[in-house]
Amino acid sequence: MKKILYLLLSFAVLCIIVFLSACSKDKTAQNPTAGLTKISEGYAIGAGAKVEVYTKETSLTTGYTKFYLALYDSITGKRLDDAHIHLTPMMDMGMMQHSAPYENPASTDAVNYLFPCSVTFIMSSMGGSWTLEIEVHNHANDKEGSITLPITVAEPATSKQKSFTATHNGAKYFISLISPTSANSKVGINDLEIAIYKKASMMSWPADSSLTVAVTPEMPTMGHGSPNNVNPTHVANGHYKGKVNFTMTGLWRLNLDFMSGSNVADTTQYFDVEF
Amino acid sequence: MKSFFFLLLLGSYLPGLAQNNNNSLSADSTRSILLSEVLVSTKTRSDQQRMLQFYRSNQSSGLEDILSRLPEMSLIRRGTYGMEPAIRSLSGGQINVLVDGMRIHGACTDKMDPATIYIEPINLEQLQLQTGTNGFINGSAIGGTLNLKTATPSCHTPNRFSGTISTGFQSAAKNFYESMQLNYGTGKWSLRGTATWRKSSDYRSGGGERIAFSQYEKVNYSFSAKYQLNQYNSIKADYIGDNGWNIGYPALLMDVGYAVARIGSVSLQQENPGQRLYQWSAKLYANQVRHYMDDTHRPNVPMHMDMPGTSLTYGVFTEGMAKLNNKQQLRVVADFSATRLKASMTMYEPGQRPMYMLTWPDNRKDQAGIGVNWEYRADSNWLLQSVARLDFISTALTSQEAKDHISILGVTDAGRQELLKNLSITASRKLSPWLKSSISLAYAERMPTATELYGFYLFNAQDGYDYLGNPGLKPEQSLQGEFSLITLGKKARLKVTAFYNQIRHFISGTVNPAFSTMTIGANGVKSFSAVPHATLAGLETSLFLKPLPQLDIVSTLRYTDGNDNTGDPLPMIAPLKSISSVRYQFNPFFLQLETELAAAQNKISIKYGEDRTNGYALLHIRSGFPFRLAGKETDLQFGVENLFDKHYHEHLDWGNVKRQGRNAYLMLKWFF
Repeated sequence: MKKILYLLLSFAVLCIIVFLSACSKDKTAQNPTAGLTKISEGYAIGAGAKVEVYTKETSLTTGYTKFYLALYDSITGKRLDDAHIHLTPMMDMGMMQHSAPYENPASTDAVNYLFPCSVTFIMSSMGGSWTLEIEVHNHANDKEGSITLPITVAEPATSKQKSFTATHNGAKYFISLISPTSANSKVGINDLEIAIYKKASMMSWPADSSLTVAVTPEMPTMGHGSPNNVNPTHVANGHYKGKVNFTMTGLWRLNLDFMSGSNVADTTQYFDVEF
Repeated sequence: MKSFFFLLLLGSYLPGLAQNNNNSLSADSTRSILLSEVLVSTKTRSDQQRMLQFYRSNQSSGLEDILSRLPEMSLIRRGTYGMEPAIRSLSGGQINVLVDGMRIHGACTDKMDPATIYIEPINLEQLQLQTGTNGFINGSAIGGTLNLKTATPSCHTPNRFSGTISTGFQSAAKNFYESMQLNYGTGKWSLRGTATWRKSSDYRSGGGERIAFSQYEKVNYSFSAKYQLNQYNSIKADYIGDNGWNIGYPALLMDVGYAVARIGSVSLQQENPGQRLYQWSAKLYANQVRHYMDDTHRPNVPMHMDMPGTSLTYGVFTEGMAKLNNKQQLRVVADFSATRLKASMTMYEPGQRPMYMLTWPDNRKDQAGIGVNWEYRADSNWLLQSVARLDFISTALTSQEAKDHISILGVTDAGRQELLKNLSITASRKLSPWLKSSISLAYAERMPTATELYGFYLFNAQDGYDYLGNPGLKPEQSLQGEFSLITLGKKARLKVTAFYNQIRHFISGTVNPAFSTMTIGANGVKSFSAVPHATLAGLETSLFLKPLPQLDIVSTLRYTDGNDNTGDPLPMIAPLKSISSVRYQFNPFFLQLETELAAAQNKISIKYGEDRTNGYALLHIRSGFPFRLAGKETDLQFGVENLFDKHYHEHLDWGNVKRQGRNAYLMLKWFF
């Protein structure tokens, strides 16, 4: 009698184990770069690392551009997930050279083997040639090195990058639309995100958090706006976040007013989003 | 005769004219109009027939024309075709418009297709109109119920095959009407089929002006089969198809490319007069409406747009009538229905991506209810009646896209669940052999419509505002009373009814200045919101005289007054109006003179963009000449409407579009 009980019990335990293991998720990691496009690659000489540059877009256009860097040990080919990375974008226009706003990876630890960072291309490659210098401090071998990659930047069909000379202080500001894009827009409430940078010198483009922003969406073809929008406010690193509502698909214009306290910085800028 | 039987059982009643005095005690808030073709063909000149001659003045007239002659009803007119019925100035979601008990929801966001446009008089046996105090047994409503009872194939015809062929022409709109009805009856099987075609060009108004975009064309066909299972039970299948196209709406910015309805049902019926439960029926139904607005024929369109809409409704209901004892009768209705709606708008600007939005974001409404009508005949002078109805209604947005749309309005959860309660009590008393009175009191509720809850920038051409839904709207609640006096005489009968209706949470549009218009040229945006209360009060009279056996005089008169809580007049209230007809039978020839009188309407809603409307007087002449053609009965009718070619419009006509001018019609109907 006892035997049968044990038999039944062990069978039940077996069943539970089989059931649980069937339920546990397949842990084979997804390829971190799935869905991304490789823009460029090369070896950071001295750091013993290979650098691959990915973006979500299939080609690069002017404006805020998010990069995802993948690092590999140059000998073993193993992914590296601990490195200090510093970017230097450069535009060579022959007569002069200048840099552009950029954001280094926020941490030395990779996010799913990728180092997210950004460059805001303030002009296209029509006016000169862009390069992106990537300095790598490989924490795996404690070596440093760098690589400079040529980058081709095109002007998009609808601009997501604007600049203005502020009326209150005469400084030049560069604004980028990060979201919404044609791809992620929907009829309804959309996340609005812009980035504001100030040109301090040819080589210095710091993020700005001093301005306040008001957004007024409008359909230029129809002459109407949309209700219940939320003005973007500064979150961090020059990024401003708010909400913008689209009542239908089509061409929308996001009119932006920039204020510095009670002084008007600029009221002429807008971004178009068509979806 | 069956339909008349039905009429009696329902306690329905033709004002003052019912031959049966017992019956005339019954519910006074029900008006039934028999439309059966078979009844018309018979030589017995029943009272019903006389009424029909009044209501269906012109044999080729559509359902809307018939409805417009009921004193309780008025029609909101946006085009020649597709007028919206209103019972005592309440319309849309405030009333039930049922086809044989079935719910049908129009597929147009701009109310261009009330359910009535998908039904032809030839589809029908009877029109049943119940005003607010008793008109909610089939569905929670504060304004009453219009039930379009479809015709049943007859197995009691003398010939296996019988039918009618009608052809008609009307001059003002060069309107052609062709219609046919076929009935096939054997012992157990009976089949009925109808087909109707109407084509109307732009009509000319009084004075000769051509009203552009007033044309329409439609085909309607129906098929019905009934099988008598045994002495008491029968099974019936019905199908109505209606295709309208190229329908002009002169008062609106767009016309209709097509409006298509498919209406099907299967029902079981049991009739056993010997049983306590002497009548029982159950019906399973489904219908679909597709509607497509079209601006391609309009000149100077700022931007081309497509506006398609669909509605899908299915449901089931059962209804039983029981005799509790000699004095008490019970009618019980239980029903469930589900409606799904979707409408969108796409605008095209050359060189740009199409602009697309949902105007009715995908939504559903599920409803389950139970209604009871209890009748107690205390003695030959007293009748008590009580109607109660409980409805559970659930509405929701059904797609993420729809929810994203409504989220713009600041709404996170747009679903609604409501329990609606309705109750009425009626007491009728015969005061003397020639006078009867009746009083009703009722409390009723109605659910806000999909447009009122979820409408997304719906343009109203009357006030020029874009309307936004409000998912937080409360149900409208109505407290109402009705009082009737009826004289019962052989040669003269008069019915006077007064009503009062106070509506709480009255749903109306209020200007929302925070929002910008969507429609190019609109005056602004209005959101549906609840006015604390509104009141409607009015009077209807019907007079029937028969001074000579050959002479019939019918006259109706109605007046309604409506105000909101601030005392401002409500919009779309028809002025004092009277229709009178005098008919003389020369045997077999008849001649009928009619006047249509309307007072000016100076009580107008400025907020709603109304303006004053002048009164008018119209004179119509009608005549009929029955004869035999190929050995079969034939009816030839000829008449002239608006004889003096009056240039006029009614107050409920949007855009002040003038009505038809002088219109001569000729109609031939052949019975076989």
